[in-house]
Order: sequence, then C-alpha cells, then structure tokens
Amino acid sequence: MRIKTSHEESGQTPLSLTITSKLLECLMAHLFPGDQDEHGAVIACGIVETKRGTRLLARELFLARDGMDYVPGHYGHRALTPAFIARVSDYCADERLCYLAVHNHGGNDSVGFSGVDLASHERGYPALLDITNGGPVGALVFAKSAVAGDIWTPQGCRALDYMTVLGPRIYRLYPSPPARPRHADLVYDRHVRLFGDAGQEILRSLKVGIIGLGGGGSLLSEWLSRLGVGHVVAVDFDGVDITNRPRIAGATQWDAMEPLVRSRFPWLRNLGCRLAHRKVDVARRVARQANPAIRYDAIPGDVVDQETAKLLRDADFLFLATDSMQSRLVFNALVQQYLIPGAQIGVKAMVEKDCRQIGDVFAATRLVLPGAGSGCLECHGLISAAALQEESLSEGERRAQRYVEDEEVPEPSVITLNALSAAQAANDLLFLFTGLYDEGVELKHQIHFARERLLSTVDFCSREECLDCGTLRRSRYARGDRGRLPCRMTAR
Amino acid sequence: MTPEVETAIQEVRDTFPDLLVEVTPEVQGGAYVVVGNLWIGDQYEPTTSWVGFLIPFTYPRADCYPHFLEGGIRRRDGRPLGDAITATTWNRRSALQVSRRSNHWNPSTDTAAAKLLKVLEWVRARP
Repeated sequence: MRIKTSHEESGQTPLSLTITSKLLECLMAHLFPGDQDEHGAVIACGIVETKRGTRLLARELFLARDGMDYVPGHYGHRALTPAFIARVSDYCADERLCYLAVHNHGGNDSVGFSGVDLASHERGYPALLDITNGGPVGALVFAKSAVAGDIWTPQGCRALDYMTVLGPRIYRLYPSPPARPRHADLVYDRHVRLFGDAGQEILRSLKVGIIGLGGGGSLLSEWLSRLGVGHVVAVDFDGVDITNRPRIAGATQWDAMEPLVRSRFPWLRNLGCRLAHRKVDVARRVARQANPAIRYDAIPGDVVDQETAKLLRDADFLFLATDSMQSRLVFNALVQQYLIPGAQIGVKAMVEKDCRQIGDVFAATRLVLPGAGSGCLECHGLISAAALQEESLSEGERRAQRYVEDEEVPEPSVITLNALSAAQAANDLLFLFTGLYDEGVELKHQIHFARERLLSTVDFCSREECLDCGTLRRSRYARGDRGRLPCRMTAR
Repeated sequence: MTPEVETAIQEVRDTFPDLLVEVTPEVQGGAYVVVGNLWIGDQYEPTTSWVGFLIPFTYPRADCYPHFLEGGIRRRDGRPLGDAITATTWNRRSALQVSRRSNHWNPSTDTAAAKLLKVLEWVRARP
C-alpha cells in the first residue's frame, strides 16, 4: 500500500483542487441529500502545473445515479459501475481531462479514505491512468466541511492538500482542521480588528497579478502592498512620461525624465524619452516602500504574448487595468481557463469629436468570477470582435484601411476617477478572500456615473456557447494547461 | 499559425475546393489568405477576381474584415463602385477594399469561410 504524504511532509509544492461554489453546491446536494447514505460522482478536471504547485480545475460534474451508476460493491459499501466509469473515463481521455471519482463519508470537519477505499484505488487506478492517457486520476472523499484526495499520476500518488472554493467567499476545505494562523505583525493591527489574523495570513499568502500599471493599476499595486499581499506580478510594457506621471502612484519628475523632456533641444528631449523609467519599476519601488517584505515581480512585457501570460496562470487573483481589447481577451481567458477570479477596471470620459464637449464620465469595476453567469466579459459583450481585428493590424494597415483620416486623440484621464474603479476592485479582493461579503451578495458589474453621482449595476449575462466560460466541448473553461490561451505567438 | 487559424484556412479550402488558396502566415500567428479567381458578378469587368483577407491571430474572436479584390475592377455600366468599396493597396497589390464589418460577429458560429461567402454574395448582389 502506497503511503500518501502531504506537501508539508514531503517538501513538494501543494496539490489542490479549485472548484466554483456553484459546482460544489450541486455536488454537495447530491452527496448529502439528508439520507445519511453514501453517494458517488465524478469530476472531470483540467490541470495547471507550475513551481507554485499543481492545481486541478473542476470543469464538469457527472453525478452517479443511485442504484444505476452507483451500486453495492463487491469489496466496499458502494461502487461506481464499470459502465459509468468507462463512459466518463473515455470522455476524459477524449477531452484530455483528469478523472476524479467522488464519494462521501459521515463526519464534519475531518475525513479520510478507508482501507477499503485505498485498496480499490490500487486495483483500479493504474488501468485508469492508461485509459485516460496518463491522467492524473484519483479520488475525493467528502465530509460536510472537509475533503481528502488521493491523486495518481504515472510518477506516483499524492494526497490532496486542500480544495479552494470560488464564490462570493473564497475559502479552503482541508482533510482536517488546519493549524491556527500565526499572529499578524503589529503593523497590521487595524486590519486584524476587521478580518483577524487568519485574514491577514490569507492576504500574505496571495499571489496577485496586475495587468497594466498606469492610472488604475499603479493605485492597485500600492494598495495591495499596504494590505499585506505577499506576492504581486505586475505586467506593463510602457514607461512613465510627462503626460501620465500625474496618474501613476509614486511617480516622480525623474521617473519621466522631465528636466530632459522639457528641454528646448530635440536631442535632449529624445534622450529623456528613452531614459524614462518603466511603469513596472516605479510600481515595484513604491510597493517595497509600503511593504519591504513583499515579493514583487516587475514584468516589462505584454500579457498578449504567450510567455508573459503564462506567468499569471497560478495567480490567486488578476486585475486588468489596460485599455486594449487583446489584453481583455487574454485576461478573460486566464480567468475562465485557469479558474482565477479577477476584476477589470477602467474609466471613460466621452468627448464629442467636433465640439470637444464632455459627455458621460464613468468608472467601471467588473468582477469576473470563473463560470457561467459570473461576469464573463465575453458574455457581457465587452470583447469587441471589431476592435480585436483592428488591434491585430500594423500601424500602416490600420491607416490604410480607414475611410477617413481621423487622428487618434488621447482621452481625458484623471487619478481621482481611476481611484473610483480601482478602490472597488481592491475591496472586492479583500472581501472575497476574508469572507466579509454578506451571504447572498450580488457581485454584479458596477458602473459609477461620475457626473450624475450615480452607481448602477449590470445584470449577469451568460451564453451557453461561450468559448470562455461555457462548458460545450469547444470552450476553454477550466482546462488549464490542456487548453491554449488566445495569445500571439510572436510579437511584431 | 494558431490552431484556430489553421482550422479556418482548411475550412476555406473545403469551401472552395477547385480554387487556389494562397496562405502567408503572419508573425503573430494569423495568416493572409488569397482565394483566386472567384466570380464576382457580370456587372463587373473583369467578372472574376482574387479575394484577399487577413485572419487575425485572435480568430475566431476577431472579425475577418475587410476583404480585398483586384484593383483594376470596374463596373461595365461605368457607374462608381459605390459605398464600402474603396481603392487602396494591399500586400503590395493594387486593390479594392470591401468593408463589410460583422456587427454581430459570433465566435461560436461565424467562420472566415462563411464571412467570405457573405462578402461575395454582397458584391454579386450590387445592382
């Protein structure tokens, strides 16, 4: 009998399962209908493997019907029928998904496999690994508030360390109650009075990606570091300049090389532009001033490039604070393909082209949780096919294909408006992970119409055939590394 | 090319099995496609043309638009070619740009091949 160890005992990185609260509710209703009996199911999962750990991503649930798919077993109490196992494992093999058999035991906050369970894994899982082309395959056993897992790969088998549940509260379930969190540092005394040592420890353990370190992104970066978030990955290819410096948190005149840029000599102005500091470097400096213990990866790149996007696939949360439609496409894909909750922020000030009159001014905060009906940007019509087409063209092609020579005019942008959308997004992260949201809270997209002082929300939309959050075969949802991100293969 | 762009190109080839389909990969993962010798309508001189377009690397999420025809095409009756058709150059060829953006592009169902057929239908149907 193989001995299963946790990652702490073995020194390996964690092995976990990520599941949405909607899918978990459906599963738990099936496993615990109130009859004190045992029930079964299979979860088909994607997978993501990085240095930070291995996460299985729950994509689809196959509920085993009592008496038909889940019947009295030869060895144990109950078992999945061979026909059910064959049908679902063939599906997993075709779709390159991992097969996880599920059943339940009694108990509340502690659960483990019986000797009979483990023996059945030894009998069946080597063959299942073959059928599913190397898996992984495995089993989960649930109690009311606990979950244990036995995960098999061709290299060996391991115990599941925890399961992460994504919903209005993001939390973990373990095989048994985890150790008490350590006391937070005195500097977080006021935080702890709101969300406790446990909440502060959660923030410290988070890895958060920020795409775009301009107006909104730079504010988020400083605030996350002050909150005590342990690891930030900041992505932006742009530099500070004289016109964006007022909006970039902590940026100085020297970051924009203003003394050179304001020179009357063209060569000095050009030199100033070339020497200006990168936004990600400014953000890292400001973050470290706020929290010297933070781990800060400043990535001077574009999330639309494959190698840059891959750096974010093991984040716990993503912020999108850019203007481009391509980055919006990749962000939405990361959220849905890797089951990473995120928020898109932005401000728009409408200006009439001819008369230059200011129209609507609005700040948007769009929380995007993985899964249908949870804010997917594609379902909400926020990823424009026309804009994606235009952004794929070279500058010359773009000019040649316009009917009218219209000069691109920069849009108005002000730090205090950026703060409106960024602050809500930062508090969304805080409240989601520390459990501060009320039960039944609706996490709809919010639009703040600044000139009317009006906050409005947008009802959820979802389309079954969505290529990001849908579960039709073509969708990328929860496939992890078994799917392809919509990135460009090489930069122009 | 991305797998999605490769699939789109195969669909174009399958839709026009008797015609030459030239493909030039584009560095980001998209491709420039030219379908040769398509009938565009008897109201034009000549009545056939190559049709070219870009399949962006973000396909099927991005629209395939605009399309380009042989630059020397004229109407037999001498009238202007009309709205949405403008003279330009494309990939170093003299071309006519046919600008038919899909206002309701659906990445789950719309394809480059189907879009090409729609554009041809529109060009052929011009009075």
